[in-house]
Amino acid sequence: MGLFMILFTLIGGITLSAQSSINGALSRKAGTLETTFLTFLTGTLFLVILILFFGQGDVLGLLNAPKWQLSAAFLGTAYLLLTVMAVPKIGVIAANIAGIAGQLVIGIIIDHFGWFNSLHIELDWKRMLALVFMVISLYLIYKGNKRSAEAKAKPTGGERILVQEQ
Amino acid sequence: MRYIYYLLALMAGAALSFEGAIYAELGKSVGQIETSFYNFLMGTVIMGLLLLFFGKGDLPHVLKAPKWSLLGGVLGVVYLTSIVVSVPFVGVGTTMVAVIIGQMIMSMVIEHYGWLGSERTGVNKEKVLAVLSMTVALLLIN
Repeated sequence: MGLFMILFTLIGGITLSAQSSINGALSRKAGTLETTFLTFLTGTLFLVILILFFGQGDVLGLLNAPKWQLSAAFLGTAYLLLTVMAVPKIGVIAANIAGIAGQLVIGIIIDHFGWFNSLHIELDWKRMLALVFMVISLYLIYKGNKRSAEAKAKPTGGERILVQEQ
Repeated sequence: MRYIYYLLALMAGAALSFEGAIYAELGKSVGQIETSFYNFLMGTVIMGLLLLFFGKGDLPHVLKAPKWSLLGGVLGVVYLTSIVVSVPFVGVGTTMVAVIIGQMIMSMVIEHYGWLGSERTGVNKEKVLAVLSMTVALLLIN
């Protein structure tokens, strides 16, 4: 069951990555707030159909759910706003990597303390070692993206000719 | 002063983990699809307000935009639902590592081929090693 869940979540990551490319393309013309609004709106419409045909839960239970659980909706908005604030100051690459670091570390902390009644998984030596590999991975992402950015910034043949003509 | 912005970015990521953990709890009582629905409905309300007061873009553009560029919402539904389903089984840490690996691989592929309006950027060895290293982390954490 665990392995199946991990595969499912990998797919979740894949769709999220596709979403950020697609939304990036749309937001260049339509605007960031507008694109995010549309994302939520189309998601809602899609889910209305899904729930009507396949929903086995209790939509009206939302009205009785504890407010602290409902307040999670503001966290998604917080993510967006914080990212929008950070990107112009430290750049997309750094903002993304810092974001991932925060996500991973807090995820492990939540597990360790079993916050929000979630699964309680202690921070043992294996998880510490995992953290080391995460840091290595983040460093490599930084290096890899920086190298791509530098390769792009280098003038290509065409541009060089243009410079000479000027 | 710059460090404060790194802190903001860190907090942004942390917000995603908190969101996942809390929604997993909500999912247990009202159902997973229903939790996704709640998130997207509230998101529409919050962003609708922000848009009305602070929007400077061009909302009608979405009517003229290519249809593939309107698929973000559906993809977001898959992402959020997968988190709500997975967290109660494997925990927040493992779930987030798996999500990030999925993102790393997919964005590498998208950029390599220049799909979805992205600028074409080749795969390099650092990016591949980053995925491998994160996969080792996933094996250790799970």
